[in-house]
Amino acid sequence: MLNDANSVVVRVKDLRKRYGDLEAVRGITFEIKAGEVFGLLGPNGAGKTTTIEILEGLRQPDSGTVSVCGMDPGREQSALKERIGAQLQATVLPDKIRVEEALTLFASFYRQPASIEVLMGRFGLGEKRRTFFEKLSGGQKQRLALALAMVNNPELVLLDEPTVGLDAQLRRDIYALIEQFREEHRTTLMTTHYIEEAERLCDRVAIIDRGQVIALGTPRELVLQSGKGTRIEVSLAKPVSIDRLKQLDAVADCTEADGRYCLHAQPAAPAVAALVRFLEADGNALLDLHIAQPTLEDVFVEMTGRRMED
Amino acid sequence: MNLMPSVRIALMSIKLVMRTKTALFFTFIFPLIFLFVYAGLFAHGHPEAVLYMFGPVVTLNVMGSGFWGLGMQSVMQRERGSLRRYRLAPIGPGSIVFSNLLANYLLELPTIALLVFCATVFFHMPLKINLFTLLVLVTVGVFAFAGFGLTISSVANTMQEAQVFNNVAWFTLLFLSGVTVPLPMLPQWIQGFAAFLPATYLVNSFQAIMVGGHSLYDQRAEMLVLVVSGTFGLLFAWKLFRWEKEEKISTRAKLLSTTFVVPFLVMGIWMIERGSLAATSKETFSFISQPPAAEEQHLASGDSILLNNFESPEEPEEILKTWQVSTEANAPGRSLGEFEVISPGADGTAQALRFKGRVESASGSERGAVTARYPFTLPAGAPSMRGIQFEVRGDGRLFQVKLDPPDPTLPIPTLAFIPDSKWQSVRLPAAWLAAPSPAPRKSTMVLEFRVDGPPGSFRLDIDEIRFY
Repeated sequence: MLNDANSVVVRVKDLRKRYGDLEAVRGITFEIKAGEVFGLLGPNGAGKTTTIEILEGLRQPDSGTVSVCGMDPGREQSALKERIGAQLQATVLPDKIRVEEALTLFASFYRQPASIEVLMGRFGLGEKRRTFFEKLSGGQKQRLALALAMVNNPELVLLDEPTVGLDAQLRRDIYALIEQFREEHRTTLMTTHYIEEAERLCDRVAIIDRGQVIALGTPRELVLQSGKGTRIEVSLAKPVSIDRLKQLDAVADCTEADGRYCLHAQPAAPAVAALVRFLEADGNALLDLHIAQPTLEDVFVEMTGRRMED
Repeated sequence: MNLMPSVRIALMSIKLVMRTKTALFFTFIFPLIFLFVYAGLFAHGHPEAVLYMFGPVVTLNVMGSGFWGLGMQSVMQRERGSLRRYRLAPIGPGSIVFSNLLANYLLELPTIALLVFCATVFFHMPLKINLFTLLVLVTVGVFAFAGFGLTISSVANTMQEAQVFNNVAWFTLLFLSGVTVPLPMLPQWIQGFAAFLPATYLVNSFQAIMVGGHSLYDQRAEMLVLVVSGTFGLLFAWKLFRWEKEEKISTRAKLLSTTFVVPFLVMGIWMIERGSLAATSKETFSFISQPPAAEEQHLASGDSILLNNFESPEEPEEILKTWQVSTEANAPGRSLGEFEVISPGADGTAQALRFKGRVESASGSERGAVTARYPFTLPAGAPSMRGIQFEVRGDGRLFQVKLDPPDPTLPIPTLAFIPDSKWQSVRLPAAWLAAPSPAPRKSTMVLEFRVDGPPGSFRLDIDEIRFY
């Protein structure tokens, strides 16, 4: 049903968008291949929603080129909308519309609508088909929003913060649905500011900060590119100089906070061995040891000097 | 443009209205309240007065749905963000605008049907309009005021702005266009101003057709200007359509939207030049300005002076000699009228007069009419009386009666009545009868019964004409 693998479904080059004095998007460039789950990861206000709304045709860029499914979203809106499905950050429907009615109504706008029954089954809305929109829980509303994005059986799905405001269980439900998109080889572009979500779901990620792509690649590539390597957190019986820890084999950096030492090492195994030898020689003892792989959060912090939530 | 998305959205909007108690109340119940207030408080139970007020009630309803229903709904959809979901679908602004218009119209039709039902059942309003004409008037009215509401919603950036614009337009139209106060009761300068207001055209058209017996064709200029303004409004709504509340309208676009008033300016100037608006509103208002008494009036002989009860021993031909029939000068020979003496008369009397014939349309836009004239000499004692009363029965057509005064400076008492098949009393007040006159008055007067309106036969039985 969908595009050939390796064909480019979304192509964005030097995209710029300004709102008054604020330049929300400053020269963003990326491509998404067919069948990929691609994430735009960044803090609030980074320019993710503006970018995705330009791809949806909801906003006009100031400059740059955008191609979605081989079309210009600004000029070929009608044809493009037949091929893409989108979920907005906040989907507002009339309070008194029933789930089934909303799906039927929106499906009727397309030339090749999906089966409403199948959609309701797939998104767990079958039992809620007669329920008014105002009576749905947050998770059910979000599932309806996702189902609405699928009413035209799109080849490209654009999801703007699909799990924002949902509890952990509901998030996992949404993750499962996005995993299904991948299994169907449906190209998916999602924005998120949840690291876990991007790492878990996305084949490739573009980390966006202040309107610019600051890192682009698979989550693993980005982590490996990180200079800080694996994080080894230890608690020691006696305090020790940070400078001496930094001199251990394979240790790139070391910080201390509240009596806990954090060593960044690449690779991790020689660094742990060197640490144990050093502590024995120093008459010190290891009270606690925790080894963690670096995350996209680390990558973001390394590149911006800020945490994602800041 | 594919109309199906609009139809589907419109049908869904209607469903949503049916599910919302507030919307149901304001769509169906609120207009009825106006009818009951107008007809109950101001018509005093007179069907012909209800007929006069029906147009303003419908206009009020159509205006309300255009301004507060359609206009505000469009702004609310944008403010609430519910348009964004539609924007992701392959439909354009035209589909949304047209769906709103269609839903508004389809909801208006049952409301009007309810108004007609209540007016005829509870207030015995004679439906002096055919359903097609009523449908055309309502359609044109809904279209025009939808254009008005949509123009305001296109220009207003927020709900607050829309409310301000709506209130200014709403109250202006409400009080200055004949919707709440009949135009002839307003000062002359306001009547002039009213010629520039769209509601005036709709109210005037309703009253001219339903009360004055005019045809839709007679009101073609009013209909045209309402259609043109509605079209302007729709075009603005389409061209200035905004999906997002963040999108603000430019000053240039705001200025452009002021051209919406152009048809009304042109029409107003033309109407004032012709004087036709004022003439029609006066004509229709005169029909109800002196409503007949509701109950039958049986007067003791001491309270009245009998003028003619058709009980004369003379031959019927002699009785008929004093009555004259005339048709409109502009349609000579087409409409017909004649008299005959019938038996029995009203209240068990032996005889009565029958005025019967046929009204035919004249050439062009002129309507046919037939008039029965009864010249008489003012009887002694008449100066102590208050007016003329007579018994009538008829076929449900609208008739007009007037009394030519003995002095041309005096007002001409006129009223309209719609007699049914039962005898009923009608009073035509003439306050000047008892008023002192500075100069001697002539002693002859003429009582006239006139019928016009849609082509067709008519019949009016008259008896017991007396001063009361």
